[in-house]
Amino acid sequence: MIDIQILTTLGIVALAALIHASFQLGVSVLTLLSGHSLSRKQSQFRVFRLTTSFVAGVATMSLLILSFFALFLGYVTTDDNHVLLWSIISGLLIGVGIAIWVFYYRPGEGTRLWVPRGIAAFLTDRTKATKRSAEAFSLGLATVLGELPFLIAPLAVSAYALIHLPAAWQVTGIALYVIISLSSLVIVWMLVGGGHKLSAIQAWRERHKRFLQFVAAAGLLILGTYTYVNEALVLTGVGL
Amino acid sequence: MNVQIVKRGGRRGHETFSRDKLHRSIVAACLSVRSSEGGAKTAANAVCMAMEKWLGERPEVTSDDLRRVATRTLKIHNPEAAYYYSQHKHIV
Repeated sequence: MIDIQILTTLGIVALAALIHASFQLGVSVLTLLSGHSLSRKQSQFRVFRLTTSFVAGVATMSLLILSFFALFLGYVTTDDNHVLLWSIISGLLIGVGIAIWVFYYRPGEGTRLWVPRGIAAFLTDRTKATKRSAEAFSLGLATVLGELPFLIAPLAVSAYALIHLPAAWQVTGIALYVIISLSSLVIVWMLVGGGHKLSAIQAWRERHKRFLQFVAAAGLLILGTYTYVNEALVLTGVGL
Repeated sequence: MNVQIVKRGGRRGHETFSRDKLHRSIVAACLSVRSSEGGAKTAANAVCMAMEKWLGERPEVTSDDLRRVATRTLKIHNPEAAYYYSQHKHIV
């Protein structure tokens, strides 16, 4: 029988990873990368190889950042500052949730995001220049860094929740986070690999962008409220 | 044809209209949505011809105008490629 605390923590991690999966920079760059590869008349196998390398890059950087956050939070956590750290992380989740609700997409047509324009231009240019698997892998790494202002909240809450688990469950939790956070990318990767048209994928993304924005923002607000009430307030004994 | 294209926002300067560049970008958009190579070239030729006619009496246009008119013409020949072409700068 799995301890309820472990299940609760894995639930927090799974919800945070789903929120991560609803973020769109990786999907945007993968769409562009697929388009450039197809326009160069590359074989389906080469397109598959490039997109697979990109997804592997995103997975690697997500894994590294989550592990780094867990290591960092493990060092700074003491018996006295649990409430403070849970409060900060809850505040971060709610703050990023409000920010996403207000300005995740730029006004106008398309799916342009509120990432710094310099980073967006860099990713766009690099996507165009990417012809090898190693470059696609690096592009995946850079894409996660580019979206870090939004990703920091789900990554931080997952890392802090995970460090309270036994070591074996920490590894399980990290794997769970990475797998779930990749789900949207994997869906697009499979659609491109299966021969679907990019115009249809992009049209779906544009049609549903407000819904995706709502899901990400609402998820962060719910998770932030939950961690504040269930972790910070409970630790202070409020309401008990 | 010596038409000046004012780049996006006017901050990136001008460049002379290039039929080849437009042709390449239309072919790329068509191939991106998995059109055949022949179909892509046919659509690109049609767009270039329409564009040259439209540019005939204009000494200077913006790159946004160019993209909008090219999209309108491409929509007749390949609506999916036209959509992807119009979205290309608005994805990331």
